[in-house]
Amino acid sequence: MLHHECENGTALAGLKELFASATHDASAAMCRWTNGIISVTLDEVRQVPLEAVSEAVAVGDAMLTMVVMTLEGELGGALIVMFDDVNGRQLAASLLGREVGVEAEWSELEKSALMETGNILGCAYVNALTRLIDQDLHPSAPYFIQDFGASVLQQALMTQAAMSDDVLLCEIGFHRKGGRLDWRVVFVPTPALQTALASALHVVL
Amino acid sequence: MITATTGTNTQEALVGMRQIVAGHAPRQMKAIVGSCIALGLHHPRLKFGVLAHIVLPDSAGRGGSPGKFADTAVPKMLEMFKESGVPTQNLTAKLAGGANMFGSTGPLQIGDANVEAVALALRRAGIRVAAQDVGGSRGRRVTFDCEEGQMIVESAGQPTRTL
Repeated sequence: MLHHECENGTALAGLKELFASATHDASAAMCRWTNGIISVTLDEVRQVPLEAVSEAVAVGDAMLTMVVMTLEGELGGALIVMFDDVNGRQLAASLLGREVGVEAEWSELEKSALMETGNILGCAYVNALTRLIDQDLHPSAPYFIQDFGASVLQQALMTQAAMSDDVLLCEIGFHRKGGRLDWRVVFVPTPALQTALASALHVVL
Repeated sequence: MITATTGTNTQEALVGMRQIVAGHAPRQMKAIVGSCIALGLHHPRLKFGVLAHIVLPDSAGRGGSPGKFADTAVPKMLEMFKESGVPTQNLTAKLAGGANMFGSTGPLQIGDANVEAVALALRRAGIRVAAQDVGGSRGRRVTFDCEEGQMIVESAGQPTRTL
């Protein structure tokens, strides 16, 4: 089980290498989607105690705008793209070539632009992971959620929490023209997917 | 992982997953829950409260953090009352959470099972549920007050509820 293997740091380093490669693909896809404006980089692959997750990911008790894509089946997981409301609307506006929306409710077009962003990022990661483990992964359609970031993250961690008191998080940051944006992506693989990745990494390493 | 704090400062304590925090009035505890349960037990006369952030329904005999599971969290909370010299008779229980955040898809939908397991653990301990706000598909920000034993529940797109 990778939870234990990670203790020696080797598997964690291998996973970091893997996710860095997947992030490279995701960044290329993101650049194409935003006409070269926005790229993504891998921040961290780390194990965190359950009680420290919200602090580690810095979601606090804030209400966030999120796009969630889940991997269904045993080789599961969740990819969560998190924005605060202002940043989310700025991204939607720049993608749609419009002024930033001011209405309290997000328009369907704004939601759709953000969901497509999540879809592009998610598919880039799924494709990279599928190539590595040589098994099919089954991503859901992306969906749009406005809720407490910690609540959504908590649900994504449930399968890992059932197996361990520490959880594995992969965190990705966004950049625009070299400057960091306050948007985040968190990918949470289930224990079964972690095991499949670890097996594949042993071949690669 | 248990944080047993009995200080009287008014600063809010944030109760993370699998943590249990205790305190006297005017202390307040806060938890953000989705499928997890925020369970608050309160002694009205002595103004002492304990809040647990319960993650899963059943320990199935596993050791580790008692606050993580419904069946081990409730006995641990009662132990914390006793350790602070507070009797465990006439306690009130309030709970919030147990949502299914990703609808019918996604990782481990455990909200309903968590609600049932907490209710069962409380029945076994002979503790009455005074109020609850559970289920649905939204997260909740919960503030538990040791003065009156009130539980304030905020949820996206919903009016704030005081239990």
